[in-house]
Amino acid sequence: MLHTKIIDIKDKKLSLVEAEQFISSSDFGASIFFSGTVRNQNNNKSVTGITYDSHDSLVLKSFEEIYNEADQKLNIRDKAVFIEHAKGYLNLGEISIIIAVACKHRDEAYILSRYIIEEIKKRSPIWKKEHYQNNETDWLKGNPIQYEKN
Amino acid sequence: MEKPRWSTKFFKKNILIKKPMKVQIELFGASREFSNQNFLEFNIKNDSTIKDIRKNLIDYLIKNFNGNENFIKIVNSSVFSSNDNIISDNYKITNNEKIAIIPPIGGG
Repeated sequence: MLHTKIIDIKDKKLSLVEAEQFISSSDFGASIFFSGTVRNQNNNKSVTGITYDSHDSLVLKSFEEIYNEADQKLNIRDKAVFIEHAKGYLNLGEISIIIAVACKHRDEAYILSRYIIEEIKKRSPIWKKEHYQNNETDWLKGNPIQYEKN
Repeated sequence: MEKPRWSTKFFKKNILIKKPMKVQIELFGASREFSNQNFLEFNIKNDSTIKDIRKNLIDYLIKNFNGNENFIKIVNSSVFSSNDNIISDNYKITNNEKIAIIPPIGGG
């Protein structure tokens, strides 16, 4: 069971309550909620906010691929997964990503939650532009997507 | 009787009447700084590949941003996508195709 969405922050904020409602089931004995939030420091600079950019369709495709891989690579078949990522300008402390997972047992839930966030970092086309106290901005360097060049 | 391969009709259709093509490149992440719009549009030769698009982009940056080294680095470290698939440097562009430049990523 999978829910994925890119949330335009102009329309609404990410909600842990909605995540809980989606994964809640008596089939599962363990739930993990991961949320990423905007912090006030990065590379010794005072951050005031972050603008998130996203290639929505490629991001949603990557979320589905990561979810499906959990069957084969992690052998975690019974699961509920809720993934939402924000796009647009977020203030300090606001939630940029929610990954909520529910599995039968805690070992699976911890492994799955960690797997999903690490794969998103490697594969999902999302970008951050940091805003600083001196009104400057900077796109973070990020990691190139790995692919066959030829 | 078999028609000669280089008939006038074939020659006109395949050699003389080949017009330049257009490609639209959607901009994401740091590459959004390349333009005030969300995309760039280039006229390209027939049979152009992603390798040629990288060259077009770099020529554009040399002309419009004085060869800004950081921008050129972005082009060289980016991948491209079409129809929600990452495409290789040998991918051949079709006329009026929309592709996207995917600079190095970092969400979460």
